[in-house]
Parts: sequence; structure tokens; C-alpha cells
Amino acid sequence: MNRFLMGGMIVGMIAALGALPAPAQNPVQNPLQNPAENQNSAQITVAFSNPSQPRRLVVKTLMHKVTIKGYDGKDAIIESSAISERRRRERNIPPGMHPLNVGRGGIEVTEANNVVTVSAETPLGGGDIQIQVPVETSVTVNTINNGVSVENISGEIEVESVNGGVSVTNSSGSVVATSMNGKVTVVLDKVAPGKAMSFSSMNGTIDVTLPADIKANLKMKVDNGDVYTDFDVKVTNEAFDTTESKTGKGVRIRGNRTTYGTINGGGPEMQFTTFNGRILIHKK
Amino acid sequence: MTCEEAKTRMTDYWSRTLGEAGETEFNAHLASCETCRSEVSRVGALWQGLDLLPLEEPSGKVRDRFYEMLGAYRQGLAAAEARPAKRWWTIPAWQMAAAAGLVAVGLGIGYGVRGNGPLFGGAPAEVSQLREEVANMRQLVALSLMQQQSASDRLRGVSWAYRAEPSDREVLGALVSAVNHDANVNVRLAAVDALRRFSASPETGRAALQSLSKQTTPIVQVALIDLLVDLKDPQAAPELRRLSGNETANEGVRQKAQWALERLQ
Repeated sequence: MNRFLMGGMIVGMIAALGALPAPAQNPVQNPLQNPAENQNSAQITVAFSNPSQPRRLVVKTLMHKVTIKGYDGKDAIIESSAISERRRRERNIPPGMHPLNVGRGGIEVTEANNVVTVSAETPLGGGDIQIQVPVETSVTVNTINNGVSVENISGEIEVESVNGGVSVTNSSGSVVATSMNGKVTVVLDKVAPGKAMSFSSMNGTIDVTLPADIKANLKMKVDNGDVYTDFDVKVTNEAFDTTESKTGKGVRIRGNRTTYGTINGGGPEMQFTTFNGRILIHKK
Repeated sequence: MTCEEAKTRMTDYWSRTLGEAGETEFNAHLASCETCRSEVSRVGALWQGLDLLPLEEPSGKVRDRFYEMLGAYRQGLAAAEARPAKRWWTIPAWQMAAAAGLVAVGLGIGYGVRGNGPLFGGAPAEVSQLREEVANMRQLVALSLMQQQSASDRLRGVSWAYRAEPSDREVLGALVSAVNHDANVNVRLAAVDALRRFSASPETGRAALQSLSKQTTPIVQVALIDLLVDLKDPQAAPELRRLSGNETANEGVRQKAQWALERLQ
């Protein structure tokens, strides 16, 4: 009986402990930091100053892999090991002094006029930067040595990488994307009417999925690859070598260099350019 | 007021220079005429749309563009001076031939005008004015879109450049500036292609060549090489040779330069 009671008490105490709120951490007081920052050591939360106006996120980095996701909220939440690195450096600053030759290190996050800018342009470190923003946000990302992934965003999306692949999925609006050595993957559920788009890579494949009802003028330039699509594309430059041959279920358009065509009667310009890769245009 | 009169006053109406009496009279006509009313609202919307385009502030790019044009002129001037000073039009035989040709053209025009006199009736001045206005509008749209913050808008500006007059130096200058300075690779690519619209101008080839020596993005270099091949510019050969032999250049670009050299010979 006694043992049973003891056991019950222990179970009850553990349950009560679990139900207790986690002890609140003291926000790190640091004049260099944005007051809106989260207390989590590897996370910064920044509010857009005017939530009713169009939002924009700008990311510039040399080494980091960048992942951006739209979420059901109103702030920008930035997570990265580079943030704790920056905090560590800032904690080391002796009272009353400021750094001279230390370099900024880590990452810098600022907000002005509804534009959140995340920059980590030091060649030190690497790793990931994960950012969550409201779904309706325009996004501009530049990286050099790593990939970019944008998911569930609706707005004007501009992504650029030198050595990494870039991918935009589950999104809508307009996309302008390029990678020198990586693949460019874009999946759009909806496109903004009247917006021009462009996708390019020197050595990678351009793989773009568009809504079935899209109206567009296509310009497809390949040097050492081919163009494939399952859209009903009306090829408009008959002057070029555009002998068509059926392979499997998709129609293969073999262009000499640049092939022009229209989908659903034509519309805004969409440009596809690759030197060593191939061009795939899928119907969603 | 007749519909004809109303049409001639629409521009003044939109720019609010009719005066109070004129405006009252114009409004009275609109109230009685469905055709004019719909035209005023349709074209008026476009007119106001133009107003809404942001004013183009002279940015640092204007300066870049000016020095680019200047550079291209200087290069052109140097190329012209390098050639023998004797110009064909200074040779008497050619002068006589040119004079005879002008007389023939003059006679032709004279007959043409007399023959079609009634058809031309008063319209040419207005038609050419209208054409000029349309050209100016396209130039304005292309130039202002090319200054926008969004790459998608700048791409639209570049595609508007295809609708500009092939002699439009402002648009050509803006395209050259985009090829050299636009932050976005895709906009630079599109601008290189749009330069084909201006292939008749000798500046186009010079600008493409100059840009090829500065450009470091391989896919843009490839596009510039394609343009130079299409322009059949023999002056491109030395730069292409340098590029194809440049060990630090991108492998694809070197292959492409070699390919272009063979095409140009």
C-alpha cells in the first residue's frame, strides 16, 4: 500500500514538472542587437515595420546554404549557427570598448522600410541559414558556394548562386533564377499575371513546372543540350532547325540554338538559358 | 463641338490645358457622345498610367551610361581615323553620281506627291507626330521599367526595348548599361539579346565587344559571343582569340570563343 502511494506520488510529481512552463530565459542584453530578437541563442526574430505593406526579404551570403519557407505568421524568423557565433563574439567585447579589427563575423540582420536584410558575407564558417517569413513576401537571395531553397512563398522571387543548385517549390508569383554550376528547379502553382520570368544556368539543367493554363511567350536557348516539354508549345521560329520527334509521352523540341514558342496563345516573356544542361518544361 | 474637334482636344483635356470654358464645352460634348466618352476613358486611363510611372531620377547609372557612350564614340573615332583619310564622297566622280542620284530621287518624290496628292491630304504631319508620340511612349516605358528594383520589371523593360525604334540611342544606351551593370544575371542575358534590335548601329558591335572583355559571368559571355557572331563583326576576332586562349576563363566560354572564331572566318 505504502509503496503504491509512493509510486503514485513520484508519477504525479513528474507529471507536474512536465506541465510547468519552461523557465524563462533572460534576454541577452546587448546594444548591438535588434531589440526584437528572440532569446534563443541561434535564432533572431525581426518584425516587419509595416505589416500591411508589401514585404521583402534580402539574403546575401558567401558560404551558407539558405532555406526560406513561408509560414503562417507575421515576423521574419532567422535561424543559424552563425548567429550564436556572432553572439559569442559580441559577449567577448570588454565593457566600454568596441571591436576594431575583429571583423563582424557571423551574421547581420537589419530591417528598414519593410525590407529585412540578412547578410553573412564573411568567408568564415558555413552551415545553414533557415528563414521563415510570411507566405506573401518578395524574396531576393544571393549565395556563392552553397544552394538556395525557397518553399511556399508568394511574391517576386529572385535567387542566384554560383556553385550551388537553386530551387523554388510550392510557390507562386514570379521567379528570376540563376546558377552557374548548379541545377535550377522551379515549381509554380500560380503565376502573377504580366510578370516576366527568366531561368538560367551555365552547367546545370533548367527544370521548370508551370500551371497548365499559363499564357507565355517562351525563349529557350541551349548550346549543348535539348529542350523537352509536355506542354503544347507552338514553335514560332520556323527558320531554325526545329525538327520535332516524339519520345515517350513528351514531345521533344530540338532547336538549333534558340527556340521561340508560345503556350496557350502567348503572354509575358519567359526565358530559359543553359549552356551544358538541358531544359525541361513540365505542365503541372 | 463635333467628334473631330473633340478628338483634337483630348490631349489638352487630359493635360488640363483646355481652360475653364474649353473644359465645360468638352464635357458637354462627352455628355452627348457615347463614342468620345468611351475613348476618353479608355485612352485617359493609359494617359494617367503614364503619370503614375515613377519619375526617373538621374542615378549613378546615367553617369555610367554617358561614359559608356563616350567610350564607344572614342573607339569609333579611333577606328575611323585609322582608315585612309580619303572619303568616297570627296571623290569628284562619286560626287557627280550622288548629284545625279539626288535629282532622280527628287523627280520621283515630285511625281509621287502629285500622283497621290489627295490621299495625303493634310494627314502626314499629324501621322508623323502621332508616330513620334508612340515612339516616345515606348522609350519612356522601356527606360523607366529598366530602372525598377524588381528584376522581373527590368526584364519587362528589356522586352519593351524590342518595340523601340532601331535608331533610338537612349534605349540602346540603357541596354548597354544593363548588359554591363545590371545586378541580375538574367537581366544582363535578356539585354544582350535585345541588342539585336539595334544591330544596324555600329555602336552595338563595339559595345558588345567592350562588354565581352569586362564580363565575368560565363553564361552572359556566351550570349555576347553569339551576338558578335550574328553581327558578323570581324573586329571581334582578336578578343575571341584572347578569350579562347585564356586559361583562367571558363572552359565552356573558351570552347564557345573557338567556335565563334571559326564562324567568323
